[in-house]
Amino acid sequence: MSEAIRLSEYPRAKRIDERQPPELRFSERAVQELERIKRHYPNKRAAMLPALWIAQREYGGHLPPEALMEVAYRLGTSYAVVEGVATFYTMYNKRPVGRVMLEVCTNLTCSICGGYEILRHLEEKLGIRAGETTPDGQFTLVEVECLNDCGNAPVMQVGNRYFGRLTPEKVDALLEELKNSEEHTVVQLADTIVQCHLSESERQDIERALAKAQAGSGGQDGQNG
Amino acid sequence: MAELKVLFKDIDVPGIQTLEVYEQHGGYSALRKALGMTRQQVIDEVKASGLRGRGGAGFPAWIKWNGIPKDESQPHYVQCNADEGEPGTFKDRELMLRHPHQLIEGIIIAGYATLSKVGYIYIRGEYTEPARVMRRAIDEAYRAGYLGKNILGSGVDFDLYIHMGAGSYECGEESAMMSSIMGERGQPRLKFPHAPLPTIAGLWNCPTLINNVETLSCVPAIIRNGGAWYASMGTEKSTGTKIFSVSGHVNKPGNYEVEMGTPLMELLELAGGVKGKLKAVIPGGSSVPILPADKCDVNLDYESLQAAGTMLGSGGFMVLNDTVCIVKFMRRTAAFYAHESCGKCTPCREGTRWMVKIFDRILAGGGRMEDIDLLLDICDQIDGRSYCALGDAAAWPIRASIKHFRHEYEYFIKHGHSMVEAQAEHSVGGR
Repeated sequence: MSEAIRLSEYPRAKRIDERQPPELRFSERAVQELERIKRHYPNKRAAMLPALWIAQREYGGHLPPEALMEVAYRLGTSYAVVEGVATFYTMYNKRPVGRVMLEVCTNLTCSICGGYEILRHLEEKLGIRAGETTPDGQFTLVEVECLNDCGNAPVMQVGNRYFGRLTPEKVDALLEELKNSEEHTVVQLADTIVQCHLSESERQDIERALAKAQAGSGGQDGQNG
Repeated sequence: MAELKVLFKDIDVPGIQTLEVYEQHGGYSALRKALGMTRQQVIDEVKASGLRGRGGAGFPAWIKWNGIPKDESQPHYVQCNADEGEPGTFKDRELMLRHPHQLIEGIIIAGYATLSKVGYIYIRGEYTEPARVMRRAIDEAYRAGYLGKNILGSGVDFDLYIHMGAGSYECGEESAMMSSIMGERGQPRLKFPHAPLPTIAGLWNCPTLINNVETLSCVPAIIRNGGAWYASMGTEKSTGTKIFSVSGHVNKPGNYEVEMGTPLMELLELAGGVKGKLKAVIPGGSSVPILPADKCDVNLDYESLQAAGTMLGSGGFMVLNDTVCIVKFMRRTAAFYAHESCGKCTPCREGTRWMVKIFDRILAGGGRMEDIDLLLDICDQIDGRSYCALGDAAAWPIRASIKHFRHEYEYFIKHGHSMVEAQAEHSVGGR
C-alpha cells in the first residue's frame, strides 16, 4: 500500500515556456488523423477534444504538459486554453495512470445495488484505495459517477467496455483475464474514441497517405504538423 | 397493459443494426418520403405528431424545427444529444447500440427540414460501444448514398460527424454541449430571453437544431405513418410513447417502451415487480423530485407527473425499496451534483458543496435540527439562480425528499443513525 502512487501526491508539472517551439511527438498517423478531424469543423480550434484524445493515446495514456503544449501548437492556440479544456473533462488523465483503469460506478442505482461493495472488494483485492494505482503500474482504481447502464447495475467501465451485473466472483475472474490481456487498456480506449471520429473513407485515406509516406521517406516517422 | 413499441418495434429483429436488414423493415423509406415533401410539410408533420423533447425538458420538437431560419444566409447545424448522463437513464444507449440506423434516418430528416448540411452526434466518451455501432452504421449510410453529397439524387447534401465527449455530465446541457463541440470547456451559456435561442445563434453563432437521441429516433416512424398516427397514441398533450429505463429494486430492470399516460404501477409490473416493499420512485432521472410510495398512483405523462409534484424528465425510472435510507441516498445525490457542477455560477458551485457538507455532518451523527431548514434554504438559494438547470436539478430532489421524508431526517439527527436499520453501509461514502 505504501508504494502505491496517490494521484493527488504526484509532483506538479514543470512550467512550459511557450516561446520555445515544443518538441513534437505525434506519430505520422496521429498527424494524419488530426488533419482529417479538423475538416469536420469550421475552425481547427473545435478539434480540441479529439486532438486531446489523440494526444492521450500518443503520450501513453495520460496528458503531460508536453502533450498539452503539442496540442496547443497543432491547433494554433495557447497552452492555457488547452490546459483549461483538458482539466475540465474527467476522462483526460492529467497524471500518469495504470495500464488499465477500473472505473466503478457508485452513483444512485449502483449505490443501492452493490456498487460500493464492488469498489471495496477491488480495494481489498488490489491493496490500493480508489484513486490510486497499483505499485506494478497495472491497475488504477477509480470511483466514477453514473455510467448510464443502470439496468445492469452494479457496473464498471474498463477501457472501451462496460462490465455489468458485477459480483465479487465476476470481478476476480475479470482481473485475472485483464492481467494477461492487451484489451481494454487506457491507450486502447483513447484509440477507440479517435477511430470513432473518422469515417471509413477517411480511414482509408490515412492508410494510403501513410503507405505513400513510408515509401517516400524509407519508413521514417514524420514529425511535421 | 403491455408495452407499446414504436421505437423498439424492430429492435429484436436479428441484424437490425445493419443497413440491409433495416431497409428490409422499411428503413430509410421515411427519408425518401421526406425528400419528396417540402421542408415545411415535414415540420408540419412533426407538429401534428405533438412530439415533445425526450431529453428531459419536454419542449415541443416542432417549435425548435420551425424556429430555424428558412434562408441559407448562414450555415445551419443539427446537434444530436447523445451525451446520456442523467443518473438512472440508459435508453439512448440501447437505441444507439441496437437501432443505429433509425437515429441516423431521423437526423438526416431533421437536417433536410432545417436546411442543415452538417450534423454532429455528441456521444459521451464512456459510450464507446454505442459509438462504434454508430460509426459502422454511418459508414454504411454513406456507402449507400443516404449521407454525403446529393442524397439519393435529391440535390440535398448532409454530412454527419461523431463528436466524442470526455467525461462531463454538464455537457448534456444543450449550451454546454455547444461549447464542448466548439472545443471549449463544457460550460453553459446565458439563456433565452437574455440571449438568443440556439435555433438562431447556436454552434458558431449559427442556427442549430438540438434534439435528444430518443426524440430524433421518433422521427422516421412519424414521417412514415403520419403525425396524426403518432398523436393518436398517448394523452392529448403527451402524445406517443416513451421509453422508461427502469432500474434499482425491481426484478427485471431494463428499458420499457410504453404509451404515454400508462399508470406508474403497470410499468412496475412490466419490470417484474418491486423487490421487497416499495418505498419511493424517482420517475425521470436523478434531477426530478422523488415520489413516495403512497403517491405512486399516477399516470406516466408530462402533465400527470407534474400534477403529482415531480417530472417525466429523461425517463430514468429508479425504484427504491424500504432498505434504502433516504438521507444517505440524498447525500449521494448531492455529492453527484457537487462533483458535476461546472463551476460557472456561484450559487450552484458553492451551494452543492455546502449541501454535501451538511449531509456529511448529519451522517457523522453531528446533525442539528435546524440543518433541515438550512438545506431547504440552500435549495432556495440555488434554484433558478444558475445559467443552466443543473443548479435547479441539484435543489429539487433534496427539497422533495425533505418534504416527503422529513421524519427520516429528524430521526437521523436525533439518534445519530439511520431510521432504516436494514440499510447496509453501502450508500455512505462517495466523494
